[in-house]
Amino acid sequence: MKISGSYLMPFPQERTYSLLQDPEMLAQCMPGCEQLVKIADDIYQMKLKMALAAISGQFDGKISIADRIPPASFRLIVEGTGKIGFMKGNGLLNLSPRDNGTDVIYDGDVQVGGTMAAVGQRLIDTTARMMIKRFFDKLCEIAKG
Amino acid sequence: MATTIAKPESLIGKRIKRKEDPRLITGTATYTDDIQLPGMHHASILRSPYGAARIRGIDISKAVQHPGVVAVFTGADTKDVGPVPCGASLPGLRVPHHYILAIDRTYFAGHPVAVVVATDRYVARDAVDLIEVDWEPLAAVADPEKAIAPGAPAVHPEWPDNTAFTFHQENGEVDKVFAEAEVVVKQRITSQRLIPSPMEPRGVVADYKSGDKTMTIYSSSQIPHLMRNLVAQMLGIADNRLRVVAPEVGGGFGCKLNVYAEEALMGFISMRTGKPVKWIESRRENFLTTIHGRGHVDYFEIAARKDGTILGMKLKLIQDLGAYHQLLTPAIPTLSVLMMPGIYDFKNIRADIVGAFTNCVPTDAYRGAGRPEATHGIERMVDMLAAELKMDPAEIRLKNFVPNEAFPYATATGLTYDSGNYAEPLKKALGIVDYRKLRADQAKARAEGRLMGIGISTYGEICAMGPSPATPAGGWESASVRIEPSGKVTVMTGIKPQGQGEETTFAQIAADELGLSIDDITVLHGDTMVVQYGIGTFGSRATAIGGTALYLALQDLKAKIKKFGGMLLNSEDVSFGGGECVCNKSGKTVALSQIAGASYRAMKLPPNTDPGLVATNFWEPPNFTFPFGAHIAVTEVDRDTGAVQITRYVAVDDCGKIINPMIVTGQVHGGVVQGMGQALFEHGIYDENAQLISGEFMDYTIPKATMVPWIETDHTVTPSPVNPLGVKGVGEAGTIGASPAIVNSVVDALSPLGVKHLDMPLSPESIWKVLQGGRA
Repeated sequence: MKISGSYLMPFPQERTYSLLQDPEMLAQCMPGCEQLVKIADDIYQMKLKMALAAISGQFDGKISIADRIPPASFRLIVEGTGKIGFMKGNGLLNLSPRDNGTDVIYDGDVQVGGTMAAVGQRLIDTTARMMIKRFFDKLCEIAKG
Repeated sequence: MATTIAKPESLIGKRIKRKEDPRLITGTATYTDDIQLPGMHHASILRSPYGAARIRGIDISKAVQHPGVVAVFTGADTKDVGPVPCGASLPGLRVPHHYILAIDRTYFAGHPVAVVVATDRYVARDAVDLIEVDWEPLAAVADPEKAIAPGAPAVHPEWPDNTAFTFHQENGEVDKVFAEAEVVVKQRITSQRLIPSPMEPRGVVADYKSGDKTMTIYSSSQIPHLMRNLVAQMLGIADNRLRVVAPEVGGGFGCKLNVYAEEALMGFISMRTGKPVKWIESRRENFLTTIHGRGHVDYFEIAARKDGTILGMKLKLIQDLGAYHQLLTPAIPTLSVLMMPGIYDFKNIRADIVGAFTNCVPTDAYRGAGRPEATHGIERMVDMLAAELKMDPAEIRLKNFVPNEAFPYATATGLTYDSGNYAEPLKKALGIVDYRKLRADQAKARAEGRLMGIGISTYGEICAMGPSPATPAGGWESASVRIEPSGKVTVMTGIKPQGQGEETTFAQIAADELGLSIDDITVLHGDTMVVQYGIGTFGSRATAIGGTALYLALQDLKAKIKKFGGMLLNSEDVSFGGGECVCNKSGKTVALSQIAGASYRAMKLPPNTDPGLVATNFWEPPNFTFPFGAHIAVTEVDRDTGAVQITRYVAVDDCGKIINPMIVTGQVHGGVVQGMGQALFEHGIYDENAQLISGEFMDYTIPKATMVPWIETDHTVTPSPVNPLGVKGVGEAGTIGASPAIVNSVVDALSPLGVKHLDMPLSPESIWKVLQGGRA
């Protein structure tokens, strides 16, 4: 499933770029993130609690960052498995400077399987959008201090 | 000579209230989940989340240590059980070994991998989450056309073309008539995967007694005896030590005409643990792991003359089989081919089936099983031909029906249609809707910009499955009738009703033959220790075959009753009727209750006669039966939302003689609603990774009461010469007739926009898209 959109962050492009790659910030801002540990350069192990419709559960997974072109773009690869199924995501984030900040334009693909797919498919799109919005909202809130 | 006995009014043809219903509507019926045995454990199954994956390892240690867990078994433990049986045979059929638990690879989402046995159902379910599987996801394929295209991921690595079988049938001069035809119409038509969704999901209780090495398996099944034979083989125990009980069954529709992994799995667990064990399928499991129906992609071609005379038909049928063959999986599309001529008189036919493996749950028999797919295709093609020739769809059908004088009629596919009067139901249905006026109303509606459609389907079907040479495990049926010492009657039948009401119809037959009250008759079924033997309930066979076995057993019994009656009346000239024997000379009578008592007490016996009043009959039918009918659906499509409203639905069915019109109407209603479900709402969808994404009722729409139109039913009666009751079968008729009537109606409604064909389901979204395109 394709997921794309954009979010205007009220920071300059370079600050935005570094915020989006700061593991501590990511861990704090990612909805349901319970743990994020660096296991190699650009690879983090993650524990995440997710709820989708009537089902919820913990996911163990990995986040990796690739194709860095600072401060313009990078690719985020997320994989997780849990008792309610599995998910895989791959998205390109493009950062464009604007007068009042930086536009983060994301364009990605999400795959889910197991119970999540069987009973939650119709909600994945809206749930993913909601999680992305919450992530950026919180990131901006914390970064503003 | 004979004194005529005033025959009491016959019960045949009476709207008798169902004897089953008091227990069903008061909640006192016993379903599999109601069975509680001392010391019983509960099982929960871990299933593959992937469409295809390799199992690199399974760690059960945490689950085993979980409090309340008794045992955990994986494929390594159960590999010698089974395999899950395929009962169908076709030349060159590739049959993958279907282990009851996956060994090192899973082939569809939902594939059973491990089972937890615990003291409590919830504990078992929780402990399933503690099993850790090291998965290696593999590429999967869900679309049958993509599966058989080059380069597709192999469902079974040993057969990279994903082709389980091909099947060819041909009759007449197909190439010649297509070359010479004045008109040829071609269309790709799909019959989407459907999820049978009985109200009661599957369930199994197994109880092994090690002391005497006997097993009892309770299972929500349509075929208890066949299940006994097959599960005994799977478990390696003797069939006379395995008792299968199918208690109350809350709907089957074909999905319980099967033997799944879970029956043998529960049997295995009970043997290993020494305790009874229960597994009840959850609704989510039902979506994922109980067989689906349909799953066709059909390429039809029809050839005709300009005057509408149909000359021939070609079909390329791609059957989505899923990952395995369940009991009848590969046989189902062959029924579609048998049904290909419909009820039309043409002899040139060519059909090619490709059975495609996909990483999906297997397809198998679902109400109609192959015939709805065929009928949908034929009836769409006849409508498209009519549209091409600008002929009225009723007229083209009337022109092509097999004529009455042609029966018994040999079809191009090798069947012999028993009896028919095909124009009659259509004429009757046209009369009920006042067809001419309806078309005038439609013209008016169109002038007002409304999208009104009229759809006709005239179907035929193959019922009373079937003569033994045409069925994998015998096609006969049995009945045993025991007149008890009191004169009350116990009937044991080999069929296994799941809502069809044979406890009532069979009691009507027995009461009618014996001149008793229907309340004097008890009908038993579904227990291999009670019933002599049987085949089961499917393929609209129960009354036509099981009812005939009962009728014939009753004839034997009546002869014996007369012997005892003659002895008691000291007469050689006696008649039996109205529940008593009468001496035709003296007029003296003796009641059946007295005769029964005397037959068991046996103080004196008639010459060459054994004590008791018991008769058993195993009846082998000489042919299938072939019911038919005409359905008309009137629809209106909402231009703004794409929603289809069925404003009128008329079903005129000919199922031969009718024993209980109320039950027949109920069967037609249920069938029409399921056919409507396919036409408008239901769609079992796998995504490109073979994940079932319509995995609950929020995503899979079955018709609800508010969506169902008023169904007007009527009948014509053309008795079947195949059986002495003259009955044909009606369980599947509604489903077969409904989907083409509705789709033809909606296509008719949208025809002013240039629409020629629509694939099911005709959801508001899909119609809305068509309407948007139409406006563009």
